[in-house]
Amino acid sequence: MNDEGRPALDCDVLERPSHVAALPERIPFVKPRLLVDTGDRVKIGTPLFADKRNPDFKFLSPGGGTVTEIKFGHRRVIEKIVITLDDEEAVEDFQAVSEQALTTIQRKELLGHLIEGGLWPLIRELPIRDIAAPENVPPMIFVSLDAKEPFQAEPEVYLKDSCDQFAFGLKALKKLAANEAVIISTSGQNAFVLEKLNGLVTHVVEGVYPADDPGVLLYHLRKNPEQNRSWFVNGQDVLLIAHLLQEGKYPVQRTMAVAGGPGGRHQHFKTRLGVPLSHLSPNLETDDSRLIVGGIFRGYASKADSHMGFYETSLTVIPEGNRREFMALFSPGFKKHSYSGAFLSRFNRSALTTDCNRHGGERACIACMQCIDVCPVDILPQMTYKAVLAEEVEEYLENGLLDCVECGLCSYVCPSKIELSGIFKQTRAAYAREQA
Amino acid sequence: MNIIKKIFDSQKKHFLSEGKPNRWYPFYEAMETVFFASDRVTDQAPHTRDHLDVKRYMAIVVLMLLPLLFFGMFNVGYQAFLASGLPYSFFSVFWFGFKKVMPLILVSYAVGFGWEIVFAVVRRHEISEGVFVTAMLFPLTLPPTTPLWQAALGISFGVVIGKEIFGGTGRNFLNPALTGRAFLFFAYPSSMSGDAVWTVLAGNQAAAVDTFSGATPLAVSALTGSGSVEAALSEAGYSVSKLFFGLYPDSIGASSALLCLVGAVLLIFLGIASYRIILGDIIGVLFAGYLLNMVATRASIPFLSLNPFYHLLMGGAAFGIAFMTTDPVSAPHLHESRWMYGFLIGFLTVLIRVFNPAFPEGIMLAILFMNVFAPLLDSIVIRAKLKKRVPNV
Repeated sequence: MNDEGRPALDCDVLERPSHVAALPERIPFVKPRLLVDTGDRVKIGTPLFADKRNPDFKFLSPGGGTVTEIKFGHRRVIEKIVITLDDEEAVEDFQAVSEQALTTIQRKELLGHLIEGGLWPLIRELPIRDIAAPENVPPMIFVSLDAKEPFQAEPEVYLKDSCDQFAFGLKALKKLAANEAVIISTSGQNAFVLEKLNGLVTHVVEGVYPADDPGVLLYHLRKNPEQNRSWFVNGQDVLLIAHLLQEGKYPVQRTMAVAGGPGGRHQHFKTRLGVPLSHLSPNLETDDSRLIVGGIFRGYASKADSHMGFYETSLTVIPEGNRREFMALFSPGFKKHSYSGAFLSRFNRSALTTDCNRHGGERACIACMQCIDVCPVDILPQMTYKAVLAEEVEEYLENGLLDCVECGLCSYVCPSKIELSGIFKQTRAAYAREQA
Repeated sequence: MNIIKKIFDSQKKHFLSEGKPNRWYPFYEAMETVFFASDRVTDQAPHTRDHLDVKRYMAIVVLMLLPLLFFGMFNVGYQAFLASGLPYSFFSVFWFGFKKVMPLILVSYAVGFGWEIVFAVVRRHEISEGVFVTAMLFPLTLPPTTPLWQAALGISFGVVIGKEIFGGTGRNFLNPALTGRAFLFFAYPSSMSGDAVWTVLAGNQAAAVDTFSGATPLAVSALTGSGSVEAALSEAGYSVSKLFFGLYPDSIGASSALLCLVGAVLLIFLGIASYRIILGDIIGVLFAGYLLNMVATRASIPFLSLNPFYHLLMGGAAFGIAFMTTDPVSAPHLHESRWMYGFLIGFLTVLIRVFNPAFPEGIMLAILFMNVFAPLLDSIVIRAKLKKRVPNV
């Protein structure tokens, strides 16, 4: 899919925002317990909340200053913890690990550093994609250096001056995996990564989104069921791990991609964790566009007064599309993006605009087979979806529901507008809760 | 645009009670979305969706059927004038056919759509566009002499028993249009088979002669006692090119193999029809045909020795292959099983045609038969697939 509004590879440094925030609501599976109260003074790296399921997992403050607001939503879910920044921010100190010490460090000690330094949640475990359990030794750790989903931060930008740091981070990860099995993948088109990190890249992937997803890679690489419990880390997050270990400070800088939408600057920005969305792009306050944090296929809709979450590094603005198009049924559709061949846009190579309209009413599945064709892990989405509806637990697990990477392509292509991906996501989450 | 919008806006209030959609809203919705696409937006990831919806999917199939419909109208008129020996012009021929065929189409749409509205209203869901394809396919498979009440009965049976009682489009396991046709075929055999039903008579002769007897190519093939079927066919006036272009008495829309071929190619190109089914069908027909050629001896009926390509040209095979077997819902739901499904339909079609004198046309029964077996094929394929998969539970 070729979408208009691709972020340029330029990267500007944004000035410091006046306040930042942590968004516990946006961290999947975590049950947050607050460790601070409104009015408390915090440093960069002071724990703000911990996970009730494992109190060792702490989430640290992205800024130094005063906690000015803790906003609760429905059922007292913690929406955000806002910190107004001081002019001179105080920073918590963590133990640094030198390059030399890293070669001899024990696995357990390294785990301790990462957990204490608040970066452990960056390492997640397949297939549920929850925070990894430190006591497990993963058969593989995946690091994907790609941005196949439209408008994510490109490795070329965030790795530009940080290749050494990246290598350091990888060394740390190798300590965690069984047999130092860290899989670093990039696409064949990504010339920058191939050139700069040639010695480190282990796999070159071909194909469109979501070929870069760790779950997809695992699906193609695995030989036995034990490998299903592999871990993965996002490319940019490896830099954070390196930063924490090298400097002994909680890293708050992020490279973010801002894309899509009319006006505004479509490019990368070096800014910090928890930055307000309005700081990334001006004029976000409009009724007819949607702010999507984390990508148009997997992200969530947010508001201009909200902030960037712990995991997300992209902001995409696309039109809502909540209008009635006249004679849409009979339009040849030269500018309508579609996986199918039913529009003239198949001959149109230029970038197309997209919007949030559903483009049709909900119908029963008509077995058009498009979801089968696009599914990156061959779970036969329409069959699995029917098994889910019939609550045939064994059948949908056999079909590979746990392999689902929640890429959203099945929902995207479905002409009956069935929320396949959403249903899979819910079912997987319910399964995870049952296992816990 | 504004005028149409005003019409809809002014009528909308009749379909709302206290601001909320009432029972009859599905009808309004179906009419309105023909002109104005829905303004509903996504409420969860992925935030953007493909422009293709079922409405367009089905509209494309109907569009591809229109050439067959127009050709069918012309052919009905042409055969009538030919049989009566009247002088004819293109326009008069088409107009005659139009007058004969259009009522069948209108009855089929009115009755089929009526049932769909009833079920949508009772079940409180939006109207599914599958019925528009069914209501177009069904009359195209009928002989032009079918009485209107039979057409109404057939489409009712097809839509209600073939589809709605199982939950509507997407949940039916039989092809609704063929279910309706099969019902008429068995309930009223005299108006659905034989030599007399395929030609409408024109002008004064209609009064003078009750029926005009013109054997269809399949009847000729089945009844050839000795000699070669090819020779018998060309003697009866059915040359290969005539069979290919379709100017011979047959069901309204099914005679032209050329137009079916064009439709099939376009549907495959647009990504609507499964090329696996269509190729499977063709391979199945040819395979069965050659197999029969090989087992044929001098003592066996000449039909066994027929060149297999004739099977694709004669009767409803081309139409069935292009538009009936490719119904995605009643076909199996996996690519691999679609190959098997297609192959078996083609195979059975030839077997039924050659070995069963009671049914000169085999494709209708072959498709319905394989519709029933589709879930079994799927089950076999899924089992084979899962064996290869590394489990993750």
